[in-house]
Parts: sequence; structure tokens; C-alpha cells
Amino acid sequence: MMKYVLKRIGMLVVTMLLVSFLTFLAFELISGDPARSMLGTNAPSYQVDALRHELGLDQPFFLRYFKWLTGFFSGDLGISYSYRQPVWDLIGSKLMITILLSLISFALIVIISIPMGIFSYQWGGGPFEWIRTSFNQLCMAIPPFFTGILLSYVFGILFRVFSPGDFPDLYEEPGAAFLHLFFGAICLSIPRIAMTTRMMRSTIVSEMNKAYVRTAISRGNDRRSVLVTHVLKNSLTSVVSFLGQTMAEILAATIVVEQVLGIPGLGRFLVLSIAQRDYPVVQAIVVILAFWVVLAGTLADLINQSIDPRLRLGGDLA
Amino acid sequence: MLVIKDLHVKFDNRDREAVAGVSLTIEDGEILGLVGESGSGKSVTAMSIAGLLPRKQCTYSGDILLDGQDLLHAKRSDLRKIHGTKIGVVFQEPMSSMDPLMKVGEQVGEALRIHTKLDRQARKDKVIKAMESVELRDPEAVYDKYPHELSGGMQQRAMIAAAIITEPSLLLLDEPTTALDVTIQAQILELLKKLNAERKMSMLFISHNLNVVRKLCRKVAVMQKGCLVEEGLTDEIFLNPQHPYTKRLIDAIPTRIRKEGS
Repeated sequence: MMKYVLKRIGMLVVTMLLVSFLTFLAFELISGDPARSMLGTNAPSYQVDALRHELGLDQPFFLRYFKWLTGFFSGDLGISYSYRQPVWDLIGSKLMITILLSLISFALIVIISIPMGIFSYQWGGGPFEWIRTSFNQLCMAIPPFFTGILLSYVFGILFRVFSPGDFPDLYEEPGAAFLHLFFGAICLSIPRIAMTTRMMRSTIVSEMNKAYVRTAISRGNDRRSVLVTHVLKNSLTSVVSFLGQTMAEILAATIVVEQVLGIPGLGRFLVLSIAQRDYPVVQAIVVILAFWVVLAGTLADLINQSIDPRLRLGGDLA
Repeated sequence: MLVIKDLHVKFDNRDREAVAGVSLTIEDGEILGLVGESGSGKSVTAMSIAGLLPRKQCTYSGDILLDGQDLLHAKRSDLRKIHGTKIGVVFQEPMSSMDPLMKVGEQVGEALRIHTKLDRQARKDKVIKAMESVELRDPEAVYDKYPHELSGGMQQRAMIAAAIITEPSLLLLDEPTTALDVTIQAQILELLKKLNAERKMSMLFISHNLNVVRKLCRKVAVMQKGCLVEEGLTDEIFLNPQHPYTKRLIDAIPTRIRKEGS
């Protein structure tokens, strides 16, 4: 068990190194010179060269990467080109907001879709099946930005429950801030709740056709006790893996939802920084978001491994 | 005593009846072999006895009586009281027939958990005893293992232990040795013989392999395309098969083995 955890953590570190290297490389390869864009096209080239030297851009690629990496591990994310401030001071509070937003969305997905999946299995079918299916597909198809606009209008403008675009301070008015984030989380989670519910249901259906269910029935279980004592646990592993991947999708979608609802999270700042070629900021945000996604995947694997003893061998499913 | 009278089963998505008028009797303490190729209806017959037919997807008629109690037309809720108490079932693939995420001991004791009010410790004691009676080595250790940690033979022993733990009067064995290699197969057959002798448990042993049936069953019934084509004492049928299909089945056994057996 411990060995597996260590192995997983090792894989996490390697993945993070790769991600950071690739993002670093990406900015090396795309055109555009940060010093030039900071000084404007009319600046004399000796000034640009001086700034390049000041920013360390004249150093070789690998040396810069290495410096950045050691800085990152000692908590120094570099200085923003555009704001001339330490990157951490710029993104710290925004990171908190985005992480909170994704966590609330994730909690909504888990709390709602797992019981809904079981419910739709138990009481599915029948003459109203098509209503359930259509509603599920509708929810899956609603893009978060649209829900965002809708919620802003209904709850922001008509009922004035929250004020879109005017995000309350997280520490001074935590209640109001949470409410604001909650609406964002609703937008993010609706399509994924629909997907996870469907996934849960279809996993239960396919597990119910397995041979061990027949055995359980031959011992006197009814359908419900088969579900509770055998099938749910067996269905859980695929749902947990699915939820691990969902975390990545949630983060990608936060970028849009933060724009629509005026939530000052990382996503908005990321878009802005890319436009300004503020590489230290972009680099830091990408690596942190990637870490969050990889961490979710690792946790999902570790949870699955505690559910399914066959995974503890470190091998694949037989 | 199990009595089957004129059993018909037809699945809705098939044209032909899976079981077309089968009548069988298994006396107390008797092992009856049911032989036939795949699709002959032998497994469907067993599933009908075990109450595992998908009732909504098939039509069925006839009678199946276990000690006078109707199994074929009984309500689901009544059937569940018979499942795991009066009838135990052992299936072909022990690995897929076991819940991969539940410890072997709990699976062996599942029928006890459902049908009795025994506490955990009392159940465990019974499970260990049942495991000993199916000659599983080191039952205490096996109790806490997961199915994938056991060999195929051990898995099938555990499945047999699970089926006999409530001391049912009828044990249904649906190709229990087919997925196992030959030496393990022989051991399982010996075990079944022993259980039958010790507990006077009736058994229905289903196989496509006449040679295996011959080692275990005094009586045998041969099925083809849903019908019973021949029935009688195993030795007599071997020496003097009446139906051409039975002859073909016997001819299918390699000569060397046929001679060794006789």
C-alpha cells in the first residue's frame, strides 16, 4: 500500500516536471519578445537589449528553466513583467478563489450525481424514461457560460441575490463571496452532474449483468441488497476515475465562468497575462493548475486502490 | 426430492424452445448427471430450478417441485427464502462468479448473513468449518483473502463451501469443473463425492463431458435441443447407448480414456 502511494507521488512529481518544462518550452517557441512588447515597437534596440538582460532573457534556455525551477521550489515564482511585482503576490488570492470555485463545483457533482445515478437506476425505465433521458441530455448540453448569463440575469438582476461583476472580498464578506462562487459552481457543475449521473447509472447496469450478481441472487439476495452489498462498491471505481478527470474539465471551464460572472479568479488573470506575454505569471498559473489536476487524478487512483484490492498489486485490472 | 414435470421454457427473442418438455426426478441423496452440448437446454433447466430465469423475458410452463414445494411459479419473495437455504448453486467460472471486492470469507458466509440471525463471530466459525469440509487449506487465512488471490481450484472450493454452508437439500452444479485443469477437476469430483456421501445431499451435475459425469453420477440424463433423449444408469448407458446422439457423445471421448474408465 505504502509502496504504491510513494510510486504514485513519484509519478506526480515527474508529471509536474514535464508540464513545467513543456510550458516553458512553449513560450520559448511562440513568437514575440516580452521586452519588446513591454517597451513598445518604437523603443530603441539598446533599451530592449538592456531590458532583456535585466529580465534574464539573454541567458540560455536551459539555464533559465533551471533557475525558474529552483525558484519555484523555494516559493519564488518570479517577477511579473507587466506589474513588476512578485507573481505570488498577484495570483495568491486569485488562486484561492479558483480553487474554492472548483472545490464547490466538485462537491456539488459528487453529492448530487452519485445518489441521482442510483436513483435513476432503481426507478428508471417506465413510460417517463424519455423525459428523464431528454432532461439529462439537455443538462449535458448547456454550456456553463449560458447558465452563467441566465443566473446573472435571474438572480443578479431580477432578484438581486448577488451582484455579478462585483465580487465581495473573500475575507471581509465570506458569506456573500461564497454565494457568488456558489452560482458559479452551479454553472460549472450542471453538465457534469448530468454526465456523472448517466455514467453511474450505466456502470450499475453493466455491473448488474455480471456473473457475481447471479451468484448473489442464488444465495437469496434481492435486487436491492445485491445493489447495496455488491454492485455499488464495484461501480464506484469507474465513477471515481471519471470524477478525477472531471476536475480537469472543471478547471478549464472556470476560465469562462469567471469571465461571465466577474469572479476574480486565476482564469481571468491567465487570459489577460497571455495577451500581455507576461510569461512568469502564465508559467506559474499553468503549473499550479496542472498540479491541481494531476493531484485530483492521483487522489482518484489512491481512492480506487483502497476500494479495489486487485489494484494494490501495482498492476492493471485482470 | 426434486421432481420436474414437463418443463417448457422459451425465451422471447428465440424461435425454438430452450427446454421442450423435460421431466426429471432426483431422489434424496442422489447425484444426477445432466449431459448435452451447449445450447441443449441443460443450463436453462438448472436455472429454472434455481429460480434464476429472467421471467419477464421468457414464457415457461410445467412444474418443478422440491420436497413438494413449487419453484417454477413461486413468488420472487418466496423463492428468495429457498435460494441459499434449500438450494445451493455452483457456477462454471469461479473467478467471475465471485464478487472481486468482497473477502472470500464474507462471500462464503453470505447465505448465513441473509437467512440467519447469527452474529459475525458465529458466522465466521461456520464459514471456517465449511471451508474445512471442502478441504481448503488454511481457512483462517483464506477467510481474509480476496478472490483474485486464490487459485482457480481454491476459488471453486470456496464457491462450493458457500453453496453448502446452509446445508441445502439440493446442490446445483453448472459445469463446476469445466474451467479447471484436469488434476483440479479430479480433486473437485472427489470432494463432491465425499460431500454427497457425508451429507446425503442431492446434486444435479451439469456437464458437456460424459466422462466427467461418469466418474461422479450413478444416473445420467442426456439432453439435445431442449429435449431429454436418454435417461438411466450411467454404466448401462455407457455400455449400451440407445439414442444416436448419446452414441456420438460417447464416441467423442478419446478411446484411451474410454478404456481406462471401463
